[in-house]
Amino acid sequence: MSLRSLRDKLAVVLAAAGFLFGPGAVLAQPKPSMQQRFLVCTACHGEGGISSQPLVPSLAGQPSFYAITQLFLFREGRRGNEVMTAMAKGMSDDDLRAFSDFIGQLPPPPAPPAGTADELRMARGAALAQQHRCASCHGSDFSGGKQVARLAYQREDYLSQTLQEFRAGKRIGYTQAMNEALAGIPPEALQDLAHYLAHLP
Amino acid sequence: MKIPKPSRARSAWGTTVMALAMTLASAAVLAADPPKQEEVPFWAIGMPKNDTASKMAPVPAFPIPTAADKLPVSKLKLPPGFKAEVWASGILDARGLRQGDKGTVFVSSLFVAGKIYAVVDKGGKREVKTIAEKLMLPNGIEFHKGSLFVATPKDIVRYDNIEANLDNPPKPVMVYDKLPGDVPHGWKFIKIGPDGKLYVPVGAPCNICMPDDKHGQIRRMNLDGSGEEVVARGVRNTVGFDWDPKTGDLWFTDNGRDWLSEDLPNDELNHVTQTGKQHFGFPFCHQGDFADPEFGWGKSCSDYTKPAMLTGPHAGTLGMRFYTGKMFPKKYQGAMFIARHGPWNRTKKYAADVIVAWPDGKGGIAKSEPFMTGLVANNEYLGRPVDVMVMKDGSMLVSDDHNGAIYRISYKGK
Repeated sequence: MSLRSLRDKLAVVLAAAGFLFGPGAVLAQPKPSMQQRFLVCTACHGEGGISSQPLVPSLAGQPSFYAITQLFLFREGRRGNEVMTAMAKGMSDDDLRAFSDFIGQLPPPPAPPAGTADELRMARGAALAQQHRCASCHGSDFSGGKQVARLAYQREDYLSQTLQEFRAGKRIGYTQAMNEALAGIPPEALQDLAHYLAHLP
Repeated sequence: MKIPKPSRARSAWGTTVMALAMTLASAAVLAADPPKQEEVPFWAIGMPKNDTASKMAPVPAFPIPTAADKLPVSKLKLPPGFKAEVWASGILDARGLRQGDKGTVFVSSLFVAGKIYAVVDKGGKREVKTIAEKLMLPNGIEFHKGSLFVATPKDIVRYDNIEANLDNPPKPVMVYDKLPGDVPHGWKFIKIGPDGKLYVPVGAPCNICMPDDKHGQIRRMNLDGSGEEVVARGVRNTVGFDWDPKTGDLWFTDNGRDWLSEDLPNDELNHVTQTGKQHFGFPFCHQGDFADPEFGWGKSCSDYTKPAMLTGPHAGTLGMRFYTGKMFPKKYQGAMFIARHGPWNRTKKYAADVIVAWPDGKGGIAKSEPFMTGLVANNEYLGRPVDVMVMKDGSMLVSDDHNGAIYRISYKGK
């Protein structure tokens, strides 16, 4: 997607957000269902919360506790992402809870994102995941749980970027567990790790 | 794997490559760029290499306060005749408690919220106002003669005439800006003593390390920040202290080091009997009788002041107050109420309660017993008490940062 079309899409999304969360929104309209409210998210995060946009994560199957911590960090301006902070700014605690509960019950991505798995990189990624005990918090099937994110079949570019950000201390998590877990892994190895998690065998 | 040792080798290698590149670009930059330590959160240092330990991390609180009707108040267990009720809710990350002269209850917070709140009682309904936000770990608060003192790891400021200006708080006045500013154990519990001085701890900037002569202490200063002096040494991290109304002596809670084992060492309740002269053991000796496996060599626990009471391994012993009210039965007059947050660094969770301890009149503790319990179920916390405060009517408030709520404990008789 070009930058311009992304920008156009964002304008629509932000306008929709204004409609859904704005002060006058509830007056004339019946309360929209969570399905309807979630359309704001699917504009970028994909139908059913499964993303096909570069660097935009899939939301489907993320644990609701994880989702709410991220929405909270966006709302408070503590996770560096202007678009998501703008989206979350007007949300009440109840909104945060409603969106995160909804995300938590979406069926997770059934298959890896598009692209083929490289056998050598998969092997290196698997070894790294084992060496650094990723599964001990993210689960043996990498489905996450509570405040821990689902990694299985997440977009590779997003995983790679996120891992690099954690490693560089640019992304401050809700807890510092990831900064700790990634300290000492070389950046190029993180790309293999992302490749493995996106394409889990 | 998560221990920084193997990573340092790689980091040094990376630094060398980077340094080489920079030498080519500019020789001057090289000297100005020391090798960068990779960021490992302080609590993880010392973690043993096993799967169970690697899953442990400080228990994260939900980023949204629990709705008033979902609070675990019906789970709270108290001695006969006592009653618990929700006093205020919707206070994200509610931690320290202080009451103003006009009745306002000020509430501090830590990592999650970074805010200071004021709770005003309006005809039995509590209104919560945020009076400061975007603060760095503003855990330490104290109220004195119309002013609210707020301490972060870096500095202490004062909001004058605050109760008359809750909707439009004045610009804070700097009281003291020379605190070290560490994140590890840098957050404060502050209180003004019977001597009119402000007591300010500076914890050890680590799980376990050799603190320099500016850390691992409780200090005191005049209310304008002058005349600073050390009150107690060998203190790892105290987040609760108070003075015995009978003797005027300072008592403080102290959190024991992590990662040594599931059951050692205990947190401590300590008694200061000689201001500025006592060393309470950290990092050499823990719980009065256990020499540290690294820093304890060549040291003897008998050289340090022993705790008056042990309060449980990794219990997270925090806020503490002597009961000075009249509402509770006579046996509680002069006793200490102590909040225990509940451990993160332990497989089996426990505590998350308020205990009560009675001084024996000879400098020690005669006995202690549970007071408010019921917040641990299925090895998880339903709530986590942080601070206790005796209200003017003799009832007691207990803050719960896990739920963003404050409970009121009152005595109705049998």
